[in-house]
Parts: sequence; structure tokens; C-alpha cells
Amino acid sequence: MYKWFLAWRYLHTKLIAFFGIASVSLCVAMVLVVMSVMGGFLDTIRERSRGLHSEILLETSSLQGFPFYGEFQEYLADHHADTVSMTTPVIYTYGIFRVPATKYTRPARVVGMRLNEYTQLNDFKQGLHYEHYFPGTTHLGPQRMPVGGIDANQRLVLPKDLEAANARWRESETDVEKKKNYEANPYEMAIYPPYVTTPIYGERVYAFGDDGPGYVGPKNSGVIIGCDMLNERRDDGDFDRFLARGADIAVTLMPISPGGNVTGEPPVRLPLRYVDDSRTGIYEIDDLCIYVDFDMLQHKLAMDPQALADGGMSRARINQMLIGLHDGTDLETGKAVVSAAWEKFLDSLGNKPSLMDVNMLNHTSVMTWEDMQRPFIQAVEKEKVLVTLLFSLISLVAMALVGCVFYMIVEKKTRDIGILKAIGASARGVAGLFVAYALAVGICGAILGTGLGVVFVWNINDIQSFLASLNPQLRVWSPEVYSFDKIPEIVKTWDAIGVAVVAVLASVAGSIIPATIAGRIWPVKALRYE
Amino acid sequence: MLRAYDLYKAYKMGKASVEVLSGVSLSAKASEFLVILGSSGSGKSTLLHLLGALDIPDKGDVEFQGKSVFQRAKKSRENYRNRDVGFVFQFYHLLPELTVLENVIIPRLIGTPALKWLSHRREAKKEALAMLDRVGLSHRVKHRPNELSGGERQRVAIARALINKPTLLLADEPTGNLDEKIGAEILDLLSEFNSAGQTIIMVTHDARVAVRAHRQVRLVGGKIEKVVPAQPSPALA
Repeated sequence: MYKWFLAWRYLHTKLIAFFGIASVSLCVAMVLVVMSVMGGFLDTIRERSRGLHSEILLETSSLQGFPFYGEFQEYLADHHADTVSMTTPVIYTYGIFRVPATKYTRPARVVGMRLNEYTQLNDFKQGLHYEHYFPGTTHLGPQRMPVGGIDANQRLVLPKDLEAANARWRESETDVEKKKNYEANPYEMAIYPPYVTTPIYGERVYAFGDDGPGYVGPKNSGVIIGCDMLNERRDDGDFDRFLARGADIAVTLMPISPGGNVTGEPPVRLPLRYVDDSRTGIYEIDDLCIYVDFDMLQHKLAMDPQALADGGMSRARINQMLIGLHDGTDLETGKAVVSAAWEKFLDSLGNKPSLMDVNMLNHTSVMTWEDMQRPFIQAVEKEKVLVTLLFSLISLVAMALVGCVFYMIVEKKTRDIGILKAIGASARGVAGLFVAYALAVGICGAILGTGLGVVFVWNINDIQSFLASLNPQLRVWSPEVYSFDKIPEIVKTWDAIGVAVVAVLASVAGSIIPATIAGRIWPVKALRYE
Repeated sequence: MLRAYDLYKAYKMGKASVEVLSGVSLSAKASEFLVILGSSGSGKSTLLHLLGALDIPDKGDVEFQGKSVFQRAKKSRENYRNRDVGFVFQFYHLLPELTVLENVIIPRLIGTPALKWLSHRREAKKEALAMLDRVGLSHRVKHRPNELSGGERQRVAIARALINKPTLLLADEPTGNLDEKIGAEILDLLSEFNSAGQTIIMVTHDARVAVRAHRQVRLVGGKIEKVVPAQPSPALA
């Protein structure tokens, strides 16, 4: 009992104890911040990865794709409707992306999708910018460029369908703040032509036509562009756009034959129309991917049925099939069902596939979205473990510091130790007193450090903004490096508890040697100590 | 009640060994006030430390109520220091972080298991307050040692030494750090406890202090040179 009593008394009367508490709390805060940021980073990757795909994917590792996808879609619908909710084909290829008006050129990953189906299987729709404010107006079919103008009442307006869509958004939007922000800055009007060279930046940019609101230019297929490819990221994490919605985009592609060769024809040049931009939140995707209509891309890449030299027809090909599961279906069970179905389906084809088809089918595999992102997620998991380990090693310094602090306390308290032993305290009791003292220091440090860490993590983006306002060089979180717009700012309860417990144990461990020394002090020597 | 047999103790001073006690034998009866006289370095404090089991002799033993002190288990020796013996030191040796009351109560706290303490603490506090009243410090219970005079500190040390009602009180130059008047007050207090039956062994180099005792033992060069027979204590006279 006297151990706790004296430990408590020492805790609030000895200034030196506050150095121990400070070192423990700083280490707890540091490790908690690192764990929370890295953990948040990992969770965000998981969450975003899930939103990128469907539950199950049938994918080929080869760019020439694989055939029989339509038949397999029918097979799944006929035999596994209880497990599989829907499927949609996807094509991936690479191309050269160009904005003709600015001569801006860069490589792009071109994704061919059926937008309506694709958005039912994942969160892609939630990242579409114009679709949010003008619902129902983003599609990938042929379309002309919308231009704003002055209406009969001399008001600046967009074409009627866009105005109507925007009115629908205003009616359905429940976030008052968002509506208020929109009212304050509805959209910018770039001059048409040459709309893109006009130095106009805004969240929503439309071209302005001389002939009033309407549509201009030829009908081109729509393209959704990754938000980091063209736009300028603002400090608040949103984007400034300078390219008007509906602007011309050109993409040059190189079709690949079923045999895997680039076809001998000149590269395909697609004239497209910029209809929206997509924000998945993962920089590597948003800075590389553009999205076009599946059927158009399949045709342009000659992945639709083609006449062969032997008079026959090649089969339509895709690179990936997204397969959605019914709600509540376990991911691994779904994967097992689809894998078995794919094997059975391939067996059922018999002699139908040509040698070339067989070669393509050999490169296919069924995977879950987790399998698909595993290399990336695992890399981040390892990074998290490594960084946490490194910072935990730094925390050993705190343990050593607690050891030093307690050694100093024992030195200073040698006479008191003698007194305690003279009045009957045991060696274990005296050692226990210092361990109890360290426990109290550890608990105080852990509580303070957890509070400090939590407050820091919760406000980490504001702190960064503040530092950046003092000096832009102090902006340490780069979305280009870390994929996400914002530093994760969630602290997990169990992380906080774990770090606090380890800190308390480390503090106690740091006191063991000084406590043992204290316990071994001979009372007579201690009483003679001056 | 207490017997010391042929006690030897040497300390190492670098490579040399200095023999402080060379075969000291001594006994004290219940309720006796025994003074060990000696000049500085004669070994009297070492002898007191051995009697109180604060140190271990190189040779010889101490018997308390017929039982060896140094052949006991460590735990039993700790209990001996806590319950059977009370110490008063020249430099008071109070714990500076604790109040007067807490300093007095701490030996009771050490000797009581945690669970028992919960039910026992009111009684312990009451006894500590009574003890402080007896040494004339009931008005200083909440003060810290650094707020007290030397005489008051020594009174607290006496109260702490007696809180567990030990059979034996060992006092090491209790007046050595006090002026004559305050020293006399402390000796009066000790004599008062002695007259109430408390056995006291006191170490001093001051012959004027020694006259208060029933019996004096003179220690010279680590050996007992002279034993002065029992005489009535002036305090009792």
C-alpha cells in the first residue's frame, strides 16, 4: 500500500517526473500519429480499391484480351443467377491522349466501359464531377459540345437540358452548404472559340456561344477524364478546371490482333468529347485513366468480330469482366462459384475455341477485388508495419529516458530508501515503489500522449494548411506521392489503446533496472548517504 | 530482552579493512534506558545499526526476546525493524514529501497489507494523531518537515519510531543536531516514554546526556571499556 501512496506523492511533487511523463507522452503521440496516418492510408486504399471494381473480376493479363465473354455472361445468368447479380465487359488499352486546342499530349490508359452497367457495380459514378451537379447528363455516346449563352431574359444560362438537370440536383441536394457554395459560384463561362486558351479557372467551366445556349460542333463519343490529368488541384483538395465541358479530345490507339501483334494499319485516332472527369481518389488512376464507350472502343481496337483470312470470323474480345454478387454473398464463396463456373464453361466449349482463342483463354484468371489490389495493399501494409516499427524503435528512446529519469530519482532518493528500509520496508517493496512510480508516470504519459496524438490527427490537415500558409515548402503531404487528396485523420480506438498500453509497459520496463538498484541499496549505506 | 554476543564488524576503506567493532557483547533489560557512550569513530553507531538489524555483523549475533536476529529469514528481519524496533536518528530522516501525520503513519502503512489497511486506516490515523499529541505536535500534523524546527522534526521522528509500539527504541545521537535547550526537551520526552516502560538504547558522545540513563556503556576502539551500573534516572528523580 505504501508503494502506491509514495508513488502518487512523488508523482506530483517531483519535477523530474514530468520529464518522464513528457517523454512518454511525446512518444505515444508520435507513434499514434504514424499508426493512424498509415492505417488510414491503408484503409482508404482498401475502401477505394473496393469502389474501383466489382466484387469478382475475370481478367486477362494479356492486352489482346480473351473471347467467349458474351457466352459466359449468359452462362452465369442461366446457371448462377442466385449468386451473380450482374456482369459487364471492360476493355483496357493504352493510347496517346491529346487536347487539340492546347497541343497538350500525354500517355493514357483507355478504359472501355458500358457506363450504366459499370456504375451499378462500383462507386465510379460518385466520383463524376459534372454528373453530380447536372445529374443524368454524363454519357459516353456521340454528343455535341454544350455552350451557354444569354436567354430571352438576358440571363446567362446553359442549354435547357443542363439547366433542368441542375434544377433536379438543387431539389434533391440535402447538403445546404454545398448548395450555398454552388449559388456563390455556379460555373465559369469560357469563350467559344477558343475556349481553352482563355485563362478561366473554376470548378465548373462551360463554353460561351454567341448564338445563345445550345450545342455546337460535330457529334463525338464522350470521354471521361481522370481528374488529375488536366485539372489543377487546389489547396483545399478540390480542382480548378480550365477545359470547358464538351471540349474536343483526341486519343490515338494501336489495335492489337488476337495473336498479340500490333495491326499493320495506321494507328486509330479517336475524336472524343470531354463530358466529365472522374475522381477515384487514387492518384495513380486519376492521373492516367480515361474512360470511353465500350462498344466504340471495341470496334476501334478491332476487338469485335473480324473477318479472318480463312473466311471465318474472329471472336469478340475483352480484357476484363466485372462480376457483381448479390448482397450478403461472401467474397470467397462468390469467387469459388465463378471460378468453378468458368472452368465448367470452358470445358463445355469443346472444340469451339481456335488455337489462338485457347492461347488467350489460358491467360485468364478469376479474382476478387482484394486479389486484384493485393500487391498494392500488401506494399502499403508492409510500409505501415515498417514505419510503425521504426517509430516504435524511436520510442525505445523514451524507455531509456524513463530509465535515466528513474536512475536520477533513485540517486536523489537514496536517503529516503534508507529511511524506508530502516522502518521495515523490504527490498521488493522499495523496488515495487519505483515500479509503481514508473507505472504512474507511464499512465499519465500515455493518457496525455493519446490525447495529444488524437487531437493532432483530427486536425492534421488544418495543421498542414496552417504550416503551408506560413511557408509553402512546409506542405509535406503530396497527393502525387501518397495517392490521396487528404492526410487520413481517423484514430482507431484499438490502435490508441494498444499504443498506450505498450507505452505504459515500456515505462515500467525502463524503471526495472533503477528499481532493482533501489531495492538492493543497503539501509546503512543509504542513511549515511549525503 | 536484548543480548548482543561477540559482535565484530569491519569496513573496507579502499584496499584496507578497518575494524570498527571487535567482539562487543551487550545486553539490555526490558524498560531499561541504556546509553552507549563513545567518541567519534568508536563504533557506537555501527553497534546500534547491528542491534537494529540495519547492518549485518561479520561475526557474532544479536538475540531479541530469546531469538536470533541474524539467523532469521530476511522477511522476519524486516518485520523486526518494522514492529520490534523503532529508530530515531541524529538527522531526523523524515520523508520530505510527506506531512507530519503521514511521516508518523508510514511505518504502520509498511507493516499492514493493502486490504487490511482499508479497514485499519482510520484507527491508524487516530493512533498517529494521539502519538503526535503526546509529543506535543498536534497543531503541526499537516505541515511538511521543511516547515518545522529541528526539535519539532525530532519529535516527529520519535512519534514515527513509536507508532508501531516497538519493544525497543534505538536512538542515534538524538540531540546531536539540536541546541542544549531543545536537546534537553527531547531527552525529557525520551525519559518520559522510558518511565512509561519503553526500553531505550541511545548512542551519544555527550556524557551530560548519558546521565539520564539507567546504565552507561563506554565504547572505545570498538570494544566495551566500561560499564557504569544502573542509577536512578534524573528524569525520574
